[in-house]
Amino acid sequence: MIRRVGNILLKEWIGMAKTPSSLLFGGVIPLLLVGQAIFLAWVLPRFLAPGTIPFGATAADGLTEVEQFRVLILAQFRFFVLLIPAMIANVFATLSIVEEKITRTLEPLLATPVRTWELLVGKTLSGAIPAVLLAWASAGLFVLLTGALGWGALLGHVLTLSWYLSLFLLTPTISILSFVLGVIGSSRASDAKSAQTLAVVVVLPLFALIAVQVTGLVWFTPLLTGIVAAGLAALDALMLALAGRLFARESIVMRWR
Amino acid sequence: MIRAAELTRRFGERLAVDGLTLDVAGGEIVGLLGPNGAGKTTTLRMIAGILAPSSGRAEVAGIDPTAEPARAHEAIGLLTEAPGFYERFTAERNLAYFARFYPLQDVDRAVGAPLDLVGLADRRRDRVGTFSKGMKQRLALARALVHEPRALLLDEPTAGLDPEAARDLRTVILGFKHEGRAVLLSTHNLTEAEDLSDRIAVLRTRLVAVDTPDALRAAREARVVRVTATAWEPRVVRAMEAEEYVLSATDAGDGIVRFRLADPAQGRPRLVADLVERGVDVLEVVEETRSLEDVYLDLVREEDS
Repeated sequence: MIRRVGNILLKEWIGMAKTPSSLLFGGVIPLLLVGQAIFLAWVLPRFLAPGTIPFGATAADGLTEVEQFRVLILAQFRFFVLLIPAMIANVFATLSIVEEKITRTLEPLLATPVRTWELLVGKTLSGAIPAVLLAWASAGLFVLLTGALGWGALLGHVLTLSWYLSLFLLTPTISILSFVLGVIGSSRASDAKSAQTLAVVVVLPLFALIAVQVTGLVWFTPLLTGIVAAGLAALDALMLALAGRLFARESIVMRWR
Repeated sequence: MIRAAELTRRFGERLAVDGLTLDVAGGEIVGLLGPNGAGKTTTLRMIAGILAPSSGRAEVAGIDPTAEPARAHEAIGLLTEAPGFYERFTAERNLAYFARFYPLQDVDRAVGAPLDLVGLADRRRDRVGTFSKGMKQRLALARALVHEPRALLLDEPTAGLDPEAARDLRTVILGFKHEGRAVLLSTHNLTEAEDLSDRIAVLRTRLVAVDTPDALRAAREARVVRVTATAWEPRVVRAMEAEEYVLSATDAGDGIVRFRLADPAQGRPRLVADLVERGVDVLEVVEETRSLEDVYLDLVREEDS
């Protein structure tokens, strides 16, 4: 089983490395999101009227109003970083499945001893693992850049338990959800673009998360982050079960066009 | 080696394959002939364990592919209708990817031997995207062989190939027979079926006929007798057609009438005697030689009617 899943992983990763668009996408999206977060934290506090503490920011000992606002913005990066697996895993999934459909490699593949669930697991991991690693690398880059800009003292207020829970629990669960939705979309679509429309289902709620956090409507405490992660894990299991049905041999041969 | 017993498949209301019973022994090539939509690909898919039969059972090397697909796939080599390769990968990497799904000790050797066999060893490190259709088809055949299967299911192996590429591929397929493999070959190409197959199975949703090409032809050839006479009166042709031993009489012009007889052995002497009695000046009586194509078309038409 491990050999067969490993074979799929290796093939998918070599394929990604040979696809300039996936390399570009995988490299550009994390840099854009890190850059955007840093830029917003740098520029927005300049427009803050003196004496005001923005809605959603919390008073912290020894921090100026500008720093409090900057902490508020920097803290949102934990949600920004979730966009990376949401978008990248979905793109990798659709490219992978649509390629199989276009090149008509699925039927010869199904004639080998590979089990369909091994195929699904291999494909899912091949997209989810790089997406998670890229998200974590982006978080590392974000911390490095924040320190380099002289905001190191603020990091203590940003890198909270919730931040780490979000990074290590939400990132993998969103990555798997996004990839599986990509697989489901690809099973019916004939090209990558139309298959990627399902990514909206993952990306839009993430923007909503950022919005509710910034406005202070909901504050993502460690407990709430854990609950959301558990909910996403349950959703992953549900979606994997659905994708497993779509990955039945007969369904692939007869319905995937 | 390959066995189909009352194999049936429905897609909703549509019956794609109806009660197909067929055996292919080791060292035998059986050609599966039939028009588009006759159920050839569905049959191969059911035997390959990709589609489950609605009823009936398939078996390859004693293994039921529906019940134990992974084990069965180790015994089956399937050449699909479309070759299907990762175009950015080399021929070697494509084959190695598929080969690693089998319990093989030496994947490099498993890939090298079939590439040699199909004449692509010198192109092993070229990207498949640069290959012609014929080369892809040969590579697909090599892929079907990486695990040295005992049974081969070949779906239209030479479709769309130029005559030279098709001939090369046919030579390779004939070699499987001498290696003791069982081959079930689906094709539209009647000449190919005749050249390669020990037996031919004509499929039109159900199995219409199965026999050696010679036996199929002989059974039909003997039934048609071509009679040349100086002249034919239409009433005589009609009267002959009314005889119980004549199935049909067709005036082909130029003094020729073709008679299809129910029982050629008894019918021929009676036919000549009756014609002479009716005053026909018979010049020549010839049993028609029929091509496999004629036989195939007859069988399909009869099945349709």
